Amino acid sequence: MSLNFLSPLYLFGILGIVAPILIHLLTRQKKKYQRFSAVYLLMEVKNRCTKRSTPNRFFLLFIRCMAIILLSIAMSNPIFSFNTSNNFATNNPSANVFIVDDSYSMGTQVNQETYYSSAVKTVLEIIQSLPNASIYTVVSGSSSGRILQEWTDAPGKIKKILETSQPSVRTTDIGLAIKQALRLLEPVSKKNKHIYILTDRDRNGWDKNYPSALETKIQHPLHIIDFSEMRSGVNQAAVTRSEVQQEFLNNYHIVKVKIKVANLLESKLIKQLNVSLWIDGKKKIGGTIDIDADSSAEKELSFPLQSNDFLNGEIRIENDSLITDNIRFFSHQPDQTIKTLVVDGDPNTVEHLSETFYLERALNPFDSSHSNIELTFSTPGELSRLNLSDYSVMILCNLQDLPYGYEQELEKYSLSGGALFITLGDQINTKFYNEKLGGILPVFLKAIHTTTKNKEPFRFLIQPSKHPVLNIFKGKALQEMKSITFDTIYSIEAREGTNYTTPITFKNEFPAIIESINGKGKVILFTSSIDRDWNNFPIQPTFLPWIQRWIKYSARGLDSHLKKNLLIGEPFYLQKSSEKPTVYITSPNGKVTYPSSINGKIEFQDTDTPGVYKIYQDPNNFSTRETSTILPQLPYGAELIGSFNVNIDPIESIPGKISNDEIKSLLPETNITFSSGYQKLNVKKTGESRAISTFILILMGIMLLFEGWLVRKE
Amino acid sequence: MDKKSTLDHNSEVFSRIASLKIHTTKLVEGLLSGHHRSQNKGSSVEFADYKDYSPGDETKHIDWKVVGKTDKHQIKQFEQSTNLKATILLDASGSMGYESTNPKAIKKMDYARTLVAALSYLFLKQSDSVGLYLFNETITTPVPARSKPTHFKHILHELVMLTPQGATKLESVIESLAKQLFGRGIIVLVSDLLTKETGIEKKLNLLATRGMEVIIFHILDSDEVSLPFEGDIVFESLEDDSSIGLNPDDIKETYQREIQKKIKYYRSLCSNLGIDYIFLETSTPLEQGLTYYLSRRKNPGKR
Repeated sequence: MSLNFLSPLYLFGILGIVAPILIHLLTRQKKKYQRFSAVYLLMEVKNRCTKRSTPNRFFLLFIRCMAIILLSIAMSNPIFSFNTSNNFATNNPSANVFIVDDSYSMGTQVNQETYYSSAVKTVLEIIQSLPNASIYTVVSGSSSGRILQEWTDAPGKIKKILETSQPSVRTTDIGLAIKQALRLLEPVSKKNKHIYILTDRDRNGWDKNYPSALETKIQHPLHIIDFSEMRSGVNQAAVTRSEVQQEFLNNYHIVKVKIKVANLLESKLIKQLNVSLWIDGKKKIGGTIDIDADSSAEKELSFPLQSNDFLNGEIRIENDSLITDNIRFFSHQPDQTIKTLVVDGDPNTVEHLSETFYLERALNPFDSSHSNIELTFSTPGELSRLNLSDYSVMILCNLQDLPYGYEQELEKYSLSGGALFITLGDQINTKFYNEKLGGILPVFLKAIHTTTKNKEPFRFLIQPSKHPVLNIFKGKALQEMKSITFDTIYSIEAREGTNYTTPITFKNEFPAIIESINGKGKVILFTSSIDRDWNNFPIQPTFLPWIQRWIKYSARGLDSHLKKNLLIGEPFYLQKSSEKPTVYITSPNGKVTYPSSINGKIEFQDTDTPGVYKIYQDPNNFSTRETSTILPQLPYGAELIGSFNVNIDPIESIPGKISNDEIKSLLPETNITFSSGYQKLNVKKTGESRAISTFILILMGIMLLFEGWLVRKE
Repeated sequence: MDKKSTLDHNSEVFSRIASLKIHTTKLVEGLLSGHHRSQNKGSSVEFADYKDYSPGDETKHIDWKVVGKTDKHQIKQFEQSTNLKATILLDASGSMGYESTNPKAIKKMDYARTLVAALSYLFLKQSDSVGLYLFNETITTPVPARSKPTHFKHILHELVMLTPQGATKLESVIESLAKQLFGRGIIVLVSDLLTKETGIEKKLNLLATRGMEVIIFHILDSDEVSLPFEGDIVFESLEDDSSIGLNPDDIKETYQREIQKKIKYYRSLCSNLGIDYIFLETSTPLEQGLTYYLSRRKNPGKR
């Protein structure tokens, strides 16, 4: 057992007992001498009398002095340690790894200081109190796990590094940091080795698989210093999602941003939380949102587009103690050209007999700038030479089958966000579709149904619809659609366990359009042909808006699969063939990177800054590099081809805190010391320590109450 | 000079007291008849009564006239008319020198002096003889009893010259006095009775059984009764006790109980021994105390 003081300077406060002693001496009554006759009687009486007022004054002085002594002791943060059997309670030099949690939650501000700055101060105080010739290293406790300072015996170096550092925007990853610490400690020859973890103990930072993840057991004392004491109730809310949608089907250009905000308070409703939308650093629109305790609420902010320029936006909520999670970035390219690949399964030398003839005229009737649909035509044989990631939509027209194994490419394309629009016809190999495209199509193609001349042809079942594609067809347009006749259609049968909708059916209730979601992509199946073989639809005036809307809709507006939402630290990948121009990426802080490209795959890993990253290509340059390079500026003539957003992982904002017992169960057989970051840590002692300031303060309070009672009594 | 002035001042007291007659209830043997009637029956000048002859009686006292008339041997008894011999014992120990903290209050010794002087004056005015014995551990100053009016001067002189000092040894003083005094008379003891001795009862009993009328004036200063001091005080003894430091507040109640217990004890003891006991606090006007005593002497039943 031992008693240590974290702030021993306060012990000088004990000198304060001089004050009551002086007061006692100065105010005490001078002893009087009185000649008296019955002194023997006084003696007799005194011996029998138990009441003592003179000693009381000394007792009062004692109590007052004790109160001052106890206050000084309490202020000096005494730590009472029960464990004396630690092997490093000596003054021997030691090797110390400081794992400083620099996740963004450590940026929480309390009393104008962040947890991180408090942690830095604590590290420096610990280093100061360590014996000479001790060595130190500092490891990041966030998901980067990087070494902030290699082994050094110069406290000044640590001080310089830490005092200029800031919390990152990453999440906590203590497991990674412990691994790093063990790796650093392994070659060190010093006998005493310590690991200090200075963290706010965010639950997400503690992997449940630690014991198995750690290759070796932690044999060194582990000191966990907690900085989350004052956290509850200060970080109120966080923006957890922002999603852009453009009303591209209307004539007006309205951009809608759906946001989700989480109330991090366990029992307090947030009312009228200010939310605002900013584009290129200027506030566009604001509003308020009410969020129930410990839940999330969604809100839609919309604004009209002034131009077709790239939008670099962010959602902000009013500030609380943790600013980092109050912003979420998004980007949007209005009216981005939808690159569409048309695969013609029935090419014909006679133009008007080909599907592509009608599609080209419908989708790009005058100029690409009007419809924003850029068509590329291909045959099944050319597919293997194409990079599907260059296209947002693929239209498979009357395709008999696919090159061997290509269905997997198609499935991957669909899962990653590519849209598939499949039309049928006389070339279709039903067996192939039913057997090979099970991962794409939610239905089996059952049978072909044809009407004879004497019989009524198939017609759309015309009725007003709320479907985003069909809701503009009203009145005259609907009447016109009634005149569309279909001679031949496919009947379908649902595959087991699949979900799909039928936005349009024929009058005989056979589905005309099958719509399904596959991963991030949409799959649309038209059960008739897109040329005039099976119907007269392509020559109807409604065909043009109908097919254009379906293509735009299937491409999810202007959302191409190029655009991604990443979290801090997640790498960005892009397929790039050698024939494609060189790609450059600009970071939110303006840094221009020439990313590395290996085997046609561009990899960009420097996603440590939240914001919008823009992707450019230089049409005049086709080179690639195996290592990433930072450029002073973008090459002249580089064109913007896309973007991706990098945001913080909102999981770090969730106020869950891991308990001592949980940590102990995660790291069994490890000598762990828990202490408060605000009471700091006395590094010379370990074991089960208890801060006894509160107890001493209570004792002091009792003594003062007793003193008051004595004074009153006297 | 102070003492003189005190006496002068107290002459008023004397004159007031002189208007009262001291009526003793017991007669003492003496040559001069006064106001004091002897309670002893014997051969004297005034016939008192007859009693039957019994062997041992002197034959000269047989009244032969009665024998002739009644044929009974009757012996004449006479009342003696005697002078009163008063012996005043004044405590001159250190404790009597206590001076009150109240500057206006009369000092205990002065109070005792005045009392003794007053009593002496009264006795002498009645032609009784008065002796004065000053004592502490022993009798320090004996003034033999005289009945001449000029004797008052001697008494006053000794009183004026008196300086309280030494411890109180009342037992040995009473014992030695009992050896010196012969015959019957009045013994007046003026003291604060502040002594650790425990055998006073026996000694007083000795005096009482020897036929002496004993009167005790128990004089205490008001401070000695109430202990009115405050704060930390070192009490230095006026006699031979060691000093003691204490806060009187701590013991005041107990002390007051104790002193009252002592007063009660003496009162009870004296009552049992047939001794007149008068307790006088120096705050009590002297004439009031004496008047009270003398009125009691007139009516002994009120003791």
